[in-house]
Amino acid sequence: MHDRIGFSIGSVFAAVIPLACGIFGALIANMPISIFGGHLPPPLLALMPVYFWCLVRPDLMPPWVAFAIGILEDLLSGGPPGVWAAAFVASYALVDRQRESFAGLAGFGAIIGFAAAMFTACAVAFLIATFYYWRFPPISMLIVQFAVTILFYIPGAALLNLIHRRLVGPLRSEF
Amino acid sequence: MANGTWKIARGKGSAQLPLAIVAVLAIALVLVGKAQSSLFDHARAYFSDWTSPLLEAARGPVKAVSNWTGGVGNYFDVYQENLRLKEDNARLRQWQNAALVLEQRLKRYQLLLNAVSDPSLGAVTAHVIGRANRPFLNTMILDAGKAQGVKPGEAVVDARGMIGRIFLAGNHTSWVILLTDLNSRIPVAVEPGNIQAIMSGDNTGAPTLETLGQGVQLKEGDQIVTSGDGGLLPSGLQIGTVAADGYIFRAVLLSDAGTSDDVRILNLKSPPEQPPAPSPNDLPVSAAGLAPLAPPAAAPTAANGASTAGQTSSPVKLLHPLTPAPPQATAPADPDDR
Repeated sequence: MHDRIGFSIGSVFAAVIPLACGIFGALIANMPISIFGGHLPPPLLALMPVYFWCLVRPDLMPPWVAFAIGILEDLLSGGPPGVWAAAFVASYALVDRQRESFAGLAGFGAIIGFAAAMFTACAVAFLIATFYYWRFPPISMLIVQFAVTILFYIPGAALLNLIHRRLVGPLRSEF
Repeated sequence: MANGTWKIARGKGSAQLPLAIVAVLAIALVLVGKAQSSLFDHARAYFSDWTSPLLEAARGPVKAVSNWTGGVGNYFDVYQENLRLKEDNARLRQWQNAALVLEQRLKRYQLLLNAVSDPSLGAVTAHVIGRANRPFLNTMILDAGKAQGVKPGEAVVDARGMIGRIFLAGNHTSWVILLTDLNSRIPVAVEPGNIQAIMSGDNTGAPTLETLGQGVQLKEGDQIVTSGDGGLLPSGLQIGTVAADGYIFRAVLLSDAGTSDDVRILNLKSPPEQPPAPSPNDLPVSAAGLAPLAPPAAAPTAANGASTAGQTSSPVKLLHPLTPAPPQATAPADPDDR
């Protein structure tokens, strides 16, 4: 009984970690403080937990969690409602369909994998913003945000891996 | 856990149904957001109010780091910069004297012409506690909100010129939509010539200008000010100068939203003057020299009987449509009582 309760608490805790990381990423990235004087857009930190856990433990990152994190990103970023929610869902769908391909990537390839997911998110966000404003928004800031996010993914993936090993449990490949 | 008691809930592609559901929800959210763009505004205002103490605490250190990272290159040409600033200062003092003389002359002319004075402006000074430069939003957050009388639509200026306008006001914070933002469109006038135009932001540093009149040609270096059309923004606020960019014209802004720390939020205290009501002499019959028709001899008794009990009844006087109405004894409207 005790084991069952302990297991239950542990599983709930493990299930909450990816969502909490996504929320934390959205909060940090959307704090309106910029040490670069506003010249660079913030990285899309909230997408990193979505990509990471969709890849390594999809049972802990169901679609509705990706959607909820996207809504929070929309809420905090101040842009049109639903843009990042739809973008995160599209990125999730890509990773969900190509999980084995993405999971096999390592080193530089892993960064390319995340870049593909990020590209999907940015492309969907651009298309929705075009529909929303009924004209093409400038793409330069989106490209810069894409580049900044890829750069931040290198330490971000190491941090997420550490959090997963310490707090969540085994990877999908270890079952 | 490590002995494999955990089960992966889903394999490849097993999230099709939930994924389809959230995809539909996401599309619905976009459509609802398109129909009602202020969907998240209350939540955003609450969030900025909630985080404002943290933002104000972080303002000092972040500003120091920002100044340091942005100012490293300036150390190498500080001497040349100092000389240039001294020249600018001397030139601006001359312009200041000229402006003061012209201002006094303008006041005298307005007195002579009995001209309607410009609407008075109230102002709230606020600190910039946050900036956000994102692909689809260019904004800054101020530490003044509804508690300080800030309302959406009010103009925000710094010492150099207009920066943007308030688009969201929380209790103690407010969000500014910058002139460079994709959503910003304001009516402007280009001087000299008072050429009316619309200035639209496109997330670049220089908003585009679209003239309203046909065959109007802008010139580089012309001054851009707010036109005041619509009555939301005061007229005559300095914005920038005209610059050509291929076949289009852009506005080179005087203000720099990236470095502004203290700004003023302007509130139009009195509404723009409404056109006067037509007087009897303006009516076609009077203007033609004809006398207005006389009122009917007897007033209907039914109208007199309609007066409410308990009130002093007064005979209701039916007027001919062309007869001027008697002046009403009402107090003049106070512009501050809006």
